[in-house]
Amino acid sequence: MASTVIGAGITIEGEITSDDDVVVHGTVRGKLTAKESVTIEQGAVIEADVAGGTLIVAGSITGNITSSDRVDLQTGAKVVGNVKAARITIADGAQFKGNVDMDV
Amino acid sequence: MASDVTVIGRGTRIRGRVSGAVDLEVHGHIDGEIAVSGDVTIDAEGLVGANVSGRRVVVRGAVKGDLTGEDAVVLEEGARVLGDVRAPRVSIAVGALVRGYVQTGGVEAAPTRARSTASAARPATRTAATAKAAPAPAAKAAPAPVAKAAPAPAVKHVQAASRATPFSLAGGAGGTSSHADAKRGPPPPVVPSLKKGAKGALNKKKAH
Repeated sequence: MASTVIGAGITIEGEITSDDDVVVHGTVRGKLTAKESVTIEQGAVIEADVAGGTLIVAGSITGNITSSDRVDLQTGAKVVGNVKAARITIADGAQFKGNVDMDV
Repeated sequence: MASDVTVIGRGTRIRGRVSGAVDLEVHGHIDGEIAVSGDVTIDAEGLVGANVSGRRVVVRGAVKGDLTGEDAVVLEEGARVLGDVRAPRVSIAVGALVRGYVQTGGVEAAPTRARSTASAARPATRTAATAKAAPAPAAKAAPAPVAKAAPAPAVKHVQAASRATPFSLAGGAGGTSSHADAKRGPPPPVVPSLKKGAKGALNKKKAH
């Protein structure tokens, strides 16, 4: 189980920095930085720049995404912002608006 | 369900405000206000640097800020709290450390701040009043401020008195009357009652 979970009813306004995995079901405004994987679950609302290792997105992100590993936009994901990652997958049914930068 | 509880992991640091309607468990570091309507648990490794409010606040870690519990605040062993604690029910276990104002029962508007400012403000206004009022009965009540250990009015009075009567400041007589005055009046202020620039203003007045 992930060590940090932002629950569905929680709103965080500010900066989150983590050395571990982060799973978000709630709302985050500001900035989200993790060393390990970041999972944005369905129903989550992120209005922030997100940086991390593996990024799995099923919720909504407004902001730039930077990953040291890969970004997976799953069905139902909604992303507005630029994505910078070595690898990126966009599943059928995911909404995405922004630039993709796959420079290694 | 897993998403109903929010866990801030050990390696996680949040700078900002955390709010919501669910339970919160803090193992990491939060520099910012926590305001949730669910329960808040600050674990042994947890560290919070701001005010915390929740329904039931359980602390085993460190908090620097006020704790407000809608229902209860429970400080368990290992808790370190630097701030005020307010809740209908407050429990502090053996081994918990608290430095601050603790209030049980109905949570009212912060009384500590108001009281401390009021008590701080009172002596200042009083000394100002006495300093202002003193010059009027110059010759008679002149020695009183001397006994009050206030250097400023004393200087003022010597000058006022010397202007009124050439040289009439008798130490003995002044002493007795000042004793009576001291008994009636408030205790001497701890802080020097000379207002900033008061001496300069006096000198200026004298020069003109």
